[in-house]
Amino acid sequence: MKLKEFWKRYFEHPYGVAGFVIFAVLLFMAIFAPLISMGKPNEMSGDILSPPSLKYPFGTDHLGRSVYSRIVYGTRVSLSVGFVAAGLSALIGIFIGAFSGYFGGMVDEVMSKIIDSFLMIPVFFLILIIVAIFGSNLFYIMLVIGLTTWPRNARIMRAQTLSLKERAFVKVAKSLGEGDLRILMTHIIPNGMYPVVANSALQMGGAILAEAALSFLGLGDPNITSWGKMINEARTYMAFAWWTIVFPGIFIILAVVAFSFIADGLQYALYPKLKEVEESG
Amino acid sequence: MGNFTRYLIRRITAVLVMIFLVMSLNFFIIHAAPGDPVTIMTGLENPSKEIIETLKKKYGLDKPLVVQYIKYFSNLLKGNLGYSYVYDQPTWHLIRERIFPTLVLTLTGSVVAFILGIYLAIWVSHLRQRFGETIVSTVNYILYATPSFWLALILILIFSSKLKILPTSGMYDLRASYHGFRKFLDLLRHLILPAGTLALIQLPIFYRVTRTSIIQSEKEEYVTTLTAIGVSKEKLFKKYVLKNAILPTVTIFGITLGFSITGAVLVEIVFAWPGMGRLMFDAIFRRDYQLLLGIYFLMAVLISIAMIITDILIAILDPRIRIT
Repeated sequence: MKLKEFWKRYFEHPYGVAGFVIFAVLLFMAIFAPLISMGKPNEMSGDILSPPSLKYPFGTDHLGRSVYSRIVYGTRVSLSVGFVAAGLSALIGIFIGAFSGYFGGMVDEVMSKIIDSFLMIPVFFLILIIVAIFGSNLFYIMLVIGLTTWPRNARIMRAQTLSLKERAFVKVAKSLGEGDLRILMTHIIPNGMYPVVANSALQMGGAILAEAALSFLGLGDPNITSWGKMINEARTYMAFAWWTIVFPGIFIILAVVAFSFIADGLQYALYPKLKEVEESG
Repeated sequence: MGNFTRYLIRRITAVLVMIFLVMSLNFFIIHAAPGDPVTIMTGLENPSKEIIETLKKKYGLDKPLVVQYIKYFSNLLKGNLGYSYVYDQPTWHLIRERIFPTLVLTLTGSVVAFILGIYLAIWVSHLRQRFGETIVSTVNYILYATPSFWLALILILIFSSKLKILPTSGMYDLRASYHGFRKFLDLLRHLILPAGTLALIQLPIFYRVTRTSIIQSEKEEYVTTLTAIGVSKEKLFKKYVLKNAILPTVTIFGITLGFSITGAVLVEIVFAWPGMGRLMFDAIFRRDYQLLLGIYFLMAVLISIAMIITDILIAILDPRIRIT
């Protein structure tokens, strides 16, 4: 598929466009945080729990910190969690799925069983338990989310590999004496990974929600400002300072919605014939 | 052997593999965690000599890893979920009384979401213009992206703090000790917000699956045929399309139960609902890892049971699986 054509179709999809726009804004906030945050995220002031104003667009929290500045910096955390966790998950999923599907046999049989069962496990608890026992820093959290969410990608990649394996160009490559590893790396993976990419967009949103939930439970990285942590801290004061809790939540929703929209746009660009793509599994 | 028997055997195998996987993961976590397994299992900084000896004997901690693995398994298979040294009680005793509240919350939330999702999908299917569908699906995207704990807090803010019409926490009013029907009403009153949160969070899944399968069913050949011979659209929808369209939604109900329990745990923590989620939360902060792993294992078992029940239910609803 031509890349240009792919993006043209992507931007025909209204959700795809909306997702891209929200994502671009969040990325801008993350990159230029020091320029647009109007102050440091941990700077305390005498204005405690003051409502939204020109000086503090989203008000201040119980320590007099600007909710707006904290949200702007929190974008960095959420986006990096999304990218690193989903990226790792895609990488593992692609390799395991491709190898399992390509070589088949007993290994594939066992791998498929493990993947199927893994998809039934409540993964969030696994992440929760590992972070609780091993300690919570942002790097661990991203790593654990990535390491526990790859099975869906593996399943998608395996199905792709099974169908690509039968295609003429792969058979020709094989008859010309190309090695298995070369065929996997140059033919199967580059041609079959697109649906995994679409699923990864969805997983980025999932990773952002998981990190927010961990931080809300007090298991987030204590040294960083994250949206989930802000909600946790605001709990006690929310009855008389709604802004401390409403804005961080809205930004979590925006980020996750953006990635779902992008996933839909990618799906549409991949399979133009399907108007509604059924949830896989 | 019938198709269904074979199907059921395959599903049960998958479920057993999952339980095996969870047990292995738990074992792996205990042994890979920083600090020695005894500290991890007891959650105590300085466990007494007696405790160490008991654990060593029970789990073969001084033997090679393979032996430990087998011992760990046989203990779990015997129904021995471990002992919480923090509470000084068998783990099972602590979890036992928490299962019912969690099930009440999870099932109420899921059933409400299931019914609402199907109704919404049917309603959208009858809409003539596309605008209505766009609104419904956008709302669904937003609900899908909403963190359950945040929605729970917002609902508390609106209905408890501002409007003061619903309780903020707990399962029963502790100041009034109701009995019989009054107690049930009290439970319902406490259930509205947490179950409502769960239902809203899960609504998008059920809506989307039902909507997709209605679209697919409407494309089936028999629908075209029946339309051609003059069966009214209304009758066709009620009698044929809907029946086929709901089946995938039932399947999803079973599959997402794991997800529902996850949602329920976060919601339980916000509402101080006395279920397994609340126990899990306390276990994390008391470093009671044996209890934590016990809850996790039990949840896996509960989810497995739910999945097998769903499979049987599907077979009853869909004769295509039962016959042949």
